[in-house]
Amino acid sequence: MNLGRALLYFLREASISLVRSWKASAVAVLTIAMSLLVGGFFVLATSNISRRVAEWSTQLRVAAYLTKDSEAAERAELERLMAGPDWVLRVETVSAAEALERFSASFPSLRDVLADTGVEAFAPSLEAVLAPQAAASRDLEGWLSEVRAHSSVAWVDDDREWLARLSAILRLVRSAGLAIGAGLLAAATLTIASVVRLTAYLYVEEIAVMRMVGATEFFIRGPFYVEGCLQGLLGAVFGYAGLQTVAWMMLRNDQSLWLPLIFEGLVTWRSAALLAGVGAAAGLLGAVLSLRRESLRVEGRE
Amino acid sequence: MIEFYSVTKRYPGGQAALDGVSFRLAAGEFVFLTGSSGAGKTTLLRLIYREELPSDGQILVNGRNVAELPLRKVPYLRRSIGVVFQDFRLIPRKTVFENVSYLPRILGASPRRQREVAFDALRQVGLAHRLSAFPRQLSGGEQQRVAVARALVNQPEILLADEPTGNLDPDLGLEILKLLVTIQRRGTTVFLATHDRQTIEHFGGRLLVLDRGRLIEDRRVEGREGPPEAVPGGAVGIAQGVAASRGVVASRGVVASRGTAG
Repeated sequence: MNLGRALLYFLREASISLVRSWKASAVAVLTIAMSLLVGGFFVLATSNISRRVAEWSTQLRVAAYLTKDSEAAERAELERLMAGPDWVLRVETVSAAEALERFSASFPSLRDVLADTGVEAFAPSLEAVLAPQAAASRDLEGWLSEVRAHSSVAWVDDDREWLARLSAILRLVRSAGLAIGAGLLAAATLTIASVVRLTAYLYVEEIAVMRMVGATEFFIRGPFYVEGCLQGLLGAVFGYAGLQTVAWMMLRNDQSLWLPLIFEGLVTWRSAALLAGVGAAAGLLGAVLSLRRESLRVEGRE
Repeated sequence: MIEFYSVTKRYPGGQAALDGVSFRLAAGEFVFLTGSSGAGKTTLLRLIYREELPSDGQILVNGRNVAELPLRKVPYLRRSIGVVFQDFRLIPRKTVFENVSYLPRILGASPRRQREVAFDALRQVGLAHRLSAFPRQLSGGEQQRVAVARALVNQPEILLADEPTGNLDPDLGLEILKLLVTIQRRGTTVFLATHDRQTIEHFGGRLLVLDRGRLIEDRRVEGREGPPEAVPGGAVGIAQGVAASRGVVASRGVVASRGTAG
């Protein structure tokens, strides 16, 4: 039979079956939607943050926070010291007011907390922007020691430390997320397998008639495979919609820098296609699993 | 056309449903298969279209040993055999047209061709006007005629009917039997299992009688309407048939090969 015509027939039969056993299908669709929502969230968030971390790793900054009593001459000396190596791209001066402004932009929900203390809570600093090759330089540690030891420096904030900590946390979160997502996906696949098998039992007499008139296994099983794919695709649609809704709800009242970063790239064809592909593959796998042991044979004949 | 050589069918833990059955049906014959309930009629028919496998013996359909057919080729065997059951076995959620056109559809016929052949088959059974009805909207006799149309749609060489009148009142049963005789007269081999002696006496013809799995009679009976006539090259009597069958087995050097029982 013409493959296109066969696929159309499978699609029609699968759609009828989805409607016919809509309650069981809804359970399968929702299970896969939930697994894709959770798994998709973790993958998206950790991927986005990891990408940013990788970017930040090539744009290291070292901030030297100044003591309150530091003199202008000392600051100039420190600035010269910091700008010395050729892998230091530039040195920027950040006043206490600018630091407050940055903090407010990053953590708008904490703005009220700072109302009393104001600019007093922040120290001015000198920030060195390092070139990517700085991380590999043998002189970096010596340079950092000199900066730390300078009389006008209260403390030094080295990006590498918190980036290393962030990377470790990300790896943990991503592993946990993938494990949860994979577990849910496996559960969804098994749910689809059960639903397809139940549907096959509904049609067992019909299948016997199909066999009797000479239908091939491809023709008998095709609609069930397509039904599994459809359930997976529908699950992916709902999962994607859920992800969008979660993003919208979280971003609605939040002006921080972090949440947009987590949900960055959510509305792309690539992420939608990825979820659809995973959903359809899980559905197909479920259908194949459910029919793999000749479950459509009537009373074990043949 | 259909050849049985010492065919035995045993189910696990039970006695033999068929025991050393041998006979031969020629192309175009109309043959009754009778016997009391449990005699093995249905088992014998199921062996022909490979719904069951013989425990012993050999079954040839159009020269092909059905027990040795690979599973993937069984559908092709079944497409050359039409089967009609007592309980019709129509697909309830499909219309008359969809039930009848199912086989052309899976064979890849265009929608137009599907309509043509389904309409033609339904016209032969007098139901061309019920194309869009569902089985539940039809009488028992009409449902059985749809089943016959479905069996005929691919112009099979063999039509097997397992108690096709069992669920019908006598008038409707007679109507179905006349339809089967008409089909046989067009050249199809019809093998009809029934325990209704009156039907056999009404039409007459070749009769195979089973008793507890053994073939105890293979003879011709005279009917009130006259026996269905075999098409040229058709009927072969029991003596000739069995002898010829054994000759074929001997000459081919194939002796009662064991099938893999299902």
